[in-house]
Amino acid sequence: MSGAEATPVLAYRDVRKLFGAFVALAGVSMEVRRREVICLIGPSGSGKSTLLRCTNGLEALDGGEIRLDGRVLPTDPSGMRAMRRRMGMVFQSFELFPHRTALANVMSGPLTVLRLPRRDAEARAMALLVKVGLEDKAASYPANLSGGQQQRVAIARALAMEPDVMLFDEPTSALDPETIGEVLSVMKRLAEEGMTMIVVTHEMTFARRVADRVVVFEHGAIIEEGPPAQIFDAPKVERTRDFLSHLGWRG
Amino acid sequence: MKLDWSVVWANSGALAQGTVLTVALAVATMALAVPGGILLALLRLSGSRALAGASAGFTELFRNLPLILVIYSAYYVMPIALGVSFSPFVTGLVALSLNVSAYNGETFRAGIASIRKGQGEAALALGMSRWQTMREVVLPQAVRRVLPVLASTWVSLFKDTSLVSVIAVGELAYTAMRIRSQSFRVLEMLTAMAAIYWLLGYPQAKLVDWLNRRYGISE
Repeated sequence: MSGAEATPVLAYRDVRKLFGAFVALAGVSMEVRRREVICLIGPSGSGKSTLLRCTNGLEALDGGEIRLDGRVLPTDPSGMRAMRRRMGMVFQSFELFPHRTALANVMSGPLTVLRLPRRDAEARAMALLVKVGLEDKAASYPANLSGGQQQRVAIARALAMEPDVMLFDEPTSALDPETIGEVLSVMKRLAEEGMTMIVVTHEMTFARRVADRVVVFEHGAIIEEGPPAQIFDAPKVERTRDFLSHLGWRG
Repeated sequence: MKLDWSVVWANSGALAQGTVLTVALAVATMALAVPGGILLALLRLSGSRALAGASAGFTELFRNLPLILVIYSAYYVMPIALGVSFSPFVTGLVALSLNVSAYNGETFRAGIASIRKGQGEAALALGMSRWQTMREVVLPQAVRRVLPVLASTWVSLFKDTSLVSVIAVGELAYTAMRIRSQSFRVLEMLTAMAAIYWLLGYPQAKLVDWLNRRYGISE
């Protein structure tokens, strides 16, 4: 491993977040290295999504710090915009812009944020739609796409900013079972291409096959982390085993 | 009672001129009150207490005063207060714009509030600024969503332009009333006025319905 690879892209140190009296994150520390795929698993309300939302500044921290390439995340508006350009975010509910076609959705970032000429933005967007297998849906509006197609467009839209890190917040939780696979296979391909990814998911098979490391959350804290083989086959923490067995995971 | 419709035909030129002025007044008012309403809504949601308070104060003032009072006030007070006197048309336009802007402000505010939070977050996550998020993502959806409300405001406005006849703006109502008082053909002139307003208003309402079907967003 080279020296550059050893520097974490993202480093969390004692990250805390409160929603009123509710402790969403009770001091989370972890590191994400370049080209690593990290899956965050754990019960609902255990803080996985909150950690993602803190990572790109959609939620402000109440304590601790997050470093991107060694620098503490900025909190001023222009610093936050620059930081967000480097992170792609995919939401559980897709959040495609309903007034724009699939192509125009993917062009949104390059046009408005990067200020690319329209022709370049369109070429980039089209290439990404090809990549997610939706070139024939370029002119379709989100309302005319299935959930799985919408989520693939949303992934393309995030990739159009050419981010260093992709954050996936339960990307398949709102999908019909038959369209989950197409989204996961796009994500798997991204991982194989070396994209650095943090994925909050309940898809244990995906986590098992694709993750380099799995991090288990409970009550706003990390209770166990390790390679998938450890977490799924020989968890060291009893509550990890309990959580997995509740999901019907039998290895 | 004998009706004599010839008075309508004899004055058709004046009525046509009045109609043109009515349409012009309504269009000009809306052309000011749509940006005005968006501005009021943005100020209200700006996060600055002073700007939000100013917007709320403006809105509550002009929404809760009778329009005819605003029109009279614009006519009598504006020249004294500002030291300038505008033509009756511009005075009427100012009064109508103040009133309709206040209504539109509330309409846009409700429309913006109805766009779910995740849409704004998706735009911010792409690296857009708050203003870009508003301009590119939230407002276009909000405007489409409030089109039916804007349409009914427009239909009301089209009829409410008749109120500026009290300051002698020569629009349709003023013209018809003037002809009535000169000819004493009350029923004929009221009927003609009703027919013109209705015939103009009805297709507009239908046009807006069509626009709404054509450009409304499905989610």
